[in-house]
Amino acid sequence: MNAVAIEAPTLGSGWSLWRRQIAGILRLEIKKNFLSKRALPMYLLAAIPVVIMMMLALFDRGMRRGVRTNFAEAMIVFSNLHEGLILRTVIFFGCAWIFMNLFRGEVVDKSLHYYFLSAVKREVLVVGKYLSGLIASCTLFLLTTAGALFFLYLPRGVQANLDYIFNGPGWAQITDYLGITILACVGYGALFMVIGLFFRNPIIPALFVYGWEWLNFLLPPMLKKISIIHYLHSLVPVPVNEGPLAIIGEPTPQWIAITGMLIVTAIVLFLASMRIRRMEIHYGGE
Amino acid sequence: MAVYQHTYQHYAGVTTPLWSRFLILPRYAFQGVFQSKLFTGLFAICFAPLLVMTILIYFKHNTTALAAFGLSVSDIGFNINGFFFRVFTNIQTGFGFLLTVIVGPVLISRDLSNNALPLYLCRPLTRTDYVIGKMSVIGFLLSLITWVPLLLLFFFEAYLEGASWWWENLFIARAVLVVSWAHIILLALLATALSAWLKWRIAASGALFAVFTIPTPISIMVNEMFSTNLGTLIHPSFVLNLLMDKLFRLESGMLPDWMVPPTWSLWASLIVLALICVGLLSLKVRAYEVVK
Amino acid sequence: MEAVINIPISQTAKESVTAEQMIVFEDVSKFYGEILGVNRVNLQIAPGITSLVGPNGSGKTTLMNLMTGLIQPTRGRVKVLDYSANDPEIFFRKVGYCSQFDSFPAGHTGYEFVYSYLRVHGYAKNDADRMTARAIERVGLTEAAKRKVAGYSKGMRQRIRLAQSIAHQPSVIVLDEPLNGLDPMARAEAIRLFRELADEGLHLIISSHILHEVNKMSDRVIFIKEGYIKAEGEVQGVRNELEEHPLQIVVRCDQPSFLATKLFAEPHIVEVHIHDDRKGLFVKTRNTDKFYDLLNRVVVTSDLNIETVATVDNDLNAVYHYLIGARQEGE
Ligand SMILES: Nc1ncnc2c1ncn2[C@@H]1O[C@H](COP(=O)(O)OP(=O)(O)OP(=O)(O)O)[C@@H](O)[C@H]1O
Ligand SMILES: [Mg+2]
Repeated sequence: MNAVAIEAPTLGSGWSLWRRQIAGILRLEIKKNFLSKRALPMYLLAAIPVVIMMMLALFDRGMRRGVRTNFAEAMIVFSNLHEGLILRTVIFFGCAWIFMNLFRGEVVDKSLHYYFLSAVKREVLVVGKYLSGLIASCTLFLLTTAGALFFLYLPRGVQANLDYIFNGPGWAQITDYLGITILACVGYGALFMVIGLFFRNPIIPALFVYGWEWLNFLLPPMLKKISIIHYLHSLVPVPVNEGPLAIIGEPTPQWIAITGMLIVTAIVLFLASMRIRRMEIHYGGE
Repeated sequence: MAVYQHTYQHYAGVTTPLWSRFLILPRYAFQGVFQSKLFTGLFAICFAPLLVMTILIYFKHNTTALAAFGLSVSDIGFNINGFFFRVFTNIQTGFGFLLTVIVGPVLISRDLSNNALPLYLCRPLTRTDYVIGKMSVIGFLLSLITWVPLLLLFFFEAYLEGASWWWENLFIARAVLVVSWAHIILLALLATALSAWLKWRIAASGALFAVFTIPTPISIMVNEMFSTNLGTLIHPSFVLNLLMDKLFRLESGMLPDWMVPPTWSLWASLIVLALICVGLLSLKVRAYEVVK
Repeated sequence: MEAVINIPISQTAKESVTAEQMIVFEDVSKFYGEILGVNRVNLQIAPGITSLVGPNGSGKTTLMNLMTGLIQPTRGRVKVLDYSANDPEIFFRKVGYCSQFDSFPAGHTGYEFVYSYLRVHGYAKNDADRMTARAIERVGLTEAAKRKVAGYSKGMRQRIRLAQSIAHQPSVIVLDEPLNGLDPMARAEAIRLFRELADEGLHLIISSHILHEVNKMSDRVIFIKEGYIKAEGEVQGVRNELEEHPLQIVVRCDQPSFLATKLFAEPHIVEVHIHDDRKGLFVKTRNTDKFYDLLNRVVVTSDLNIETVATVDNDLNAVYHYLIGARQEGE
């Protein structure tokens, strides 16, 4: 029987197909979620730390601790800004928004079925969506971190900076901070993707996580280990003083922090795939 | 068709006056809102602090009742004053925030995601009516747990204390009114504006929380780094609390003195936030959108 | 439960079609919690246009969602051309579904919408471009393709979704009320397109409320009511199977009330209405032969003058009326 008048081009199978499909998903997701007007609040959020550091670098007036002239002091200010604002606020809320929206956003827009009706394994779909979130969040928040670092170094002048970066601890600091940003996106991204998929109302678990992460410094060492900020915290090059109440746990070695984070991500993707495999399309509920 | 055969007649009876037309929205909203057991439960809990307040005021003035427990007035370690009312106003507005988080986000989100706005706006109901109707849902609910009972308790206390207390403490009544209404208007505007922009109601709840959590580290950091007090102004929760202190004539305990901006700037920041919300609403509450 | 009237579509056709070329429902039920979606559906659907007909809420969409794996059956099994929707990578190369959801991913033009999902399928840029252009041309939307979908009219949205569901050249196309919102020209065009696709050997499963169009285009009909399949087969075949179901007959005569009194005495008469002008009546009978016997006897034994006797035609409308019981409005 002649099935189709003009035969559709063959698609192939296996890794090469999946790679192309993931590329297709990335294309669609990035255009839809990150290059559109609806991403504007996220860009504003991501810009806040950079703007603060910029103001700090540009305006000397009334600076309390002389950060412009005293680099050690500036470094402390920056490390506080990095943990308090970039990690705990900007990346936390940014990832919550991006990753919880990956599937929920489609349910709200009533457009998830177009994916489910494409010749794509649902596992591939999960990986593709997660990667799109990761690419967007990493790009955005790496720019935030890099921008903030840029304005941290700016007032020292070119020569001093080159010296500090290439003959001093500067280079290691920069790569560490950028690396931590990536890990934070990986970790929070995985966490929020699961929360978004498994809870009908993800606000409550998300708020719980928020409180848990802020109170992390009070937790006993065992419990500390089940939080993302702990691992990120043990990686920062310039330690942040957690205040007099903090319970000091021993920091986790770098390689454990990184492999741990990757394993968690793998588990999360697996769980998400299980969930998505059994998912039915009912848009009515919201 | 011959004229005498026309049997159709359009409605010629009385209609409700235009100014009160918006009340239809809260009326239906309340039906839905109180169907949720969770919400009804929470709403009932909101009255618990008021009950405690009533009991405290009552015992403070009733020596015989106290004697029944073997206590005398001097044993009671508190006074009914500005601080007393400030604490309870704070609790009640806190509850008000929670109620808003639960009720607010559905207000416009649902209509948007079901394309219901054209249905509302094709009736004799203007955009302003619509928004005011939606805001009044929060207005009524929050009034019931904030200024209405708090003022009643103020009168109760004044009645027990006598005229001189009344005249000396009239500022408390004013503070209760102003603080409650500032909260009500701000929360109602924020809730409607956010729910108009976020179709997913849960995201709208989250955003409402975010408006009150994200600015905390930012404003403290800005203040610390630039040794300024302008950072405080970007945080609506700081601003409301500082205003509350001012109106109840208390020292501010929450932030160090140098972080407290002048009162007029506190008001100005609230007004700016409110205007932003109004702007967001007027952009989004429309029967249709032109797509380019 | 009433027996399903199962009419073999022209016997020969069915025998020549193997399971690999059929859509098969095996004892499929779907419950939404307590609510019945569809119950105990057994179907075998061969290539060609199959229409799904039934009143609102009868389970048409449920059946289509089951077919395409958007929902999972509570019981039973669905196979399309021997593939299961649980393996989407293979399944959806063969199947395209234009669902009833009139919604789109945000911010795309019509072209990008179709194109993007072809890329998700894994087609390379050139192939995707070519297939998109062709699908959009087939639904006659080439001119508007560069505009944002959010600014489309209802019929344009319907058409671009149709294009999206056929763009990857599937061999089974499931369409949930595809004629909704189309103007008469577009309807004719769409029906022509369906016919064309069916003649190429594709399966088309189409749900619709517009009976005369179903009548015109379908090879087969499936009647569904309250979650049960009431009848399936060719339109004519279904009608013949219904011999013992009430048939409507219109009689124009000069003494309708007299005839009515005679008719009421008979057990096979279901319903009699006298026309407003008192020049005729409308009869519903379960046994046409007995009715005509009776009519003959009455004419012979009385002075009744009969002008015309007519059965309401054997078209889908009549079948629908009998099976589903609901009157079609505006037909
Ligand atoms: N998600 C759901 N939850 C609960 N009940 C549902 C759901 N989807 C459908 N139903 C019920 O299943 C039954 C069949 O619905 P279905 O959508 O299949 O009808 P339909 O034949 O497509 O109707 P229409 O002609 O209006 O499109 C209806 O009673 C409906 O209320
Ligand atoms: Mg339907």
